[in-house]
Amino acid sequence: MTDDIDVAGSEEFSGQKVRLYPVTRIQGRADIEVLFTPQQGVREARFRALESRGIQSLVRGMPALRAPQLLSRICGTCGPFHQLASCMAIEAACGAEVPPEAGSLRQLLCWLLLAASHVMTINFMVLPDFALPMSDAGVKNITGIYMVDQESVGRLTHALTSLEEAMRLLGGGTTRPGAIVPGGVSRLPDEDDIRRCRALVAGCEDDLQETMRLAEMLTRRESRMMETGSPLTGYYMASTTDGRPALIGEEVTAAPFAGGDEVTMDPEGFLASIEERPVPWSYLVPLAVEGLEPALVGPLARVNLGFGEDTPQAALECRRTAEQWEHPLDREYFFLVAIALEAIWGWEKARNLLDGWEDSDAKPSASVQLSETDGFAVIDSPRGLLAHVASMTGGGLIKDYRVLSPLQFNYLLMNSHLSSVAEDTVRGIDISDATAARLQLAVRSFIPCVPCGTH
Amino acid sequence: MYIATAAFSACGGCENSLLSIGEPLVALLSEHTISFSSILVDRRTVSPSDVVLASGCIRNSEETEVAFEIARTSRKIIAVGTCAVYGGVCGLANAGDSLDAAQGSVLPELFATAEPLDSSMAVELYVPGCPPPPNLIFEALKSVVEGYSPLHLNSTVCSDCERAVTRKSAKTIQSHPGPGADDAACLLSAGLLCMGPVTRGGCRAACPSAGVACAGCRGPSDAVLSSQLHSVHSDLVAYISRTSGAREEKVAKQLEPMLRLLYMFTRRDPVTRSRVKERVPGD
Repeated sequence: MTDDIDVAGSEEFSGQKVRLYPVTRIQGRADIEVLFTPQQGVREARFRALESRGIQSLVRGMPALRAPQLLSRICGTCGPFHQLASCMAIEAACGAEVPPEAGSLRQLLCWLLLAASHVMTINFMVLPDFALPMSDAGVKNITGIYMVDQESVGRLTHALTSLEEAMRLLGGGTTRPGAIVPGGVSRLPDEDDIRRCRALVAGCEDDLQETMRLAEMLTRRESRMMETGSPLTGYYMASTTDGRPALIGEEVTAAPFAGGDEVTMDPEGFLASIEERPVPWSYLVPLAVEGLEPALVGPLARVNLGFGEDTPQAALECRRTAEQWEHPLDREYFFLVAIALEAIWGWEKARNLLDGWEDSDAKPSASVQLSETDGFAVIDSPRGLLAHVASMTGGGLIKDYRVLSPLQFNYLLMNSHLSSVAEDTVRGIDISDATAARLQLAVRSFIPCVPCGTH
Repeated sequence: MYIATAAFSACGGCENSLLSIGEPLVALLSEHTISFSSILVDRRTVSPSDVVLASGCIRNSEETEVAFEIARTSRKIIAVGTCAVYGGVCGLANAGDSLDAAQGSVLPELFATAEPLDSSMAVELYVPGCPPPPNLIFEALKSVVEGYSPLHLNSTVCSDCERAVTRKSAKTIQSHPGPGADDAACLLSAGLLCMGPVTRGGCRAACPSAGVACAGCRGPSDAVLSSQLHSVHSDLVAYISRTSGAREEKVAKQLEPMLRLLYMFTRRDPVTRSRVKERVPGD
């Protein structure tokens, strides 16, 4: 462990600090810094994003109709959601009406990706913490789990490959389903595509149910082993329709962890209430929502808002989870059960859309007449709320662009929670492997995606 | 064998594509040792490895240091993804001007340009794509682990595409990636800016199959790379002229406002070396 830690001062902080680098089993490169008081008590712990590609500036001057292709490269996990949000922002700017069939296909692709993304996160990044919490790094990973429980890994990889294959059939890809284009989609699936997708999606049901049982069992064990004195505070927040989470919702709903009334905003009001609070020690710019600070977005936030009856299996699991651990779920270790539950939610939504799919000769996209206007879109992605704001020139080029991503919304809560956990667990500047693992778990519970956050 | 993965400035799509291989990857890794991999294991230091799957481009000072350390301690490096091979979309950067405020002595210094991996290390194999299909990554990894020579892949996206070139081509070319094209017709013939004729194949023409113009994410084809007299632009102009019957000058003028799109993934390295060693099953 000593090789991994630098103890040093810095220009902006004159005391001692310990650096844990890199944070592992997350997307992107980041570290955790623990800053100490002169008495070697914890002053603060913070998660620092160490990379930035500046995609917001790269897209300026690009033909707006091709901007979604570039913006989908913000993130390898939520790429299709960036692609969709970007198309929606451009469509909002020019008043294009997306044909309903195209809207359904977009939703279908997003639900499939939500389920697939969560399955991948569980399998490769989260399970080692819960299944092999005390093991050495050489074992505490996917290969260690494979050696002791080949069946669970096989189940998860089967679900992942089936969901991804369905996405390929419908959208031409998984990370970047090219089918989502400004104005609608590039093509609508035929009867054969839908039949094959139904079979692929139906084949995942048992895998996802068993994964949920495994997540419940491991969470129960974890909650007994790891009683953290640091519950999540602030507000949970998601895109909703009629108060229930929706990937493309009509409003944004927030509620306090401490109990109290829900707050509902329209997307425009939500965007207007966001304030950027840059910090000099990270490439990630935290976002605060006025009056709702700090906020949590993503799976745990959505599960706390509860699912609607159009997805009876997910709604039932959600109620069972709340009965078992009480509502709201405000401990970090609930994130495993939240993403397992959401995988069922996404799968069930996709299945509903496939079951109700009717072959049609409808046009897949509407024409997009570009002009010098602005537009925006607010949607929910696998890791939480996501907003794109586009400004275009009269010649159909991007004049300015702004992306607001889930990790930016979570950043304030994540760092305050990380500091609380560090205060509870760090004893002096000699941080043990177990304590480092505990700090990383606190970070992973927010399912951070650094490329998405810093874009 | 010691296997590692490393990601530099990237979106994470290449790592996800690697993980999408699923059980065959897990089984292979279980037979060997993962020496370091921030996406898979909690080991934090770069340690000697037989093969490293590296994705992303070099965009800041810390990445340069990590790249040198990996180059010093590793036997074979596979550059995975177009950012690692050509600089990728990050290569569109001319400077991190919007990021100056965040730069300071406590953060890695951002470079004005994004560099492909072989600017910092010797690369054994290149697997371009944004992201590359999982089967291509797995094949590259297996070829190193099992010690066989990768085959040379020299097709274009058009060779994998089932759409047919039509004699009556569209008179104008538009930048829209795919507004509901006919299921069977060539997208370029239909007037969409499709990079298929000049782009390396191996992706099974995933985008054109879904009715979307190829954006050229796998980089230039062998024909384009074969001589300095060729380029993505000139070869595409010649192809469109040949198939549509329009004069080359006229086609070139139409493409002028879209030049940026031709080099969306390779702008950092428009005159590329022949980074083409890879194998596709059944090729």
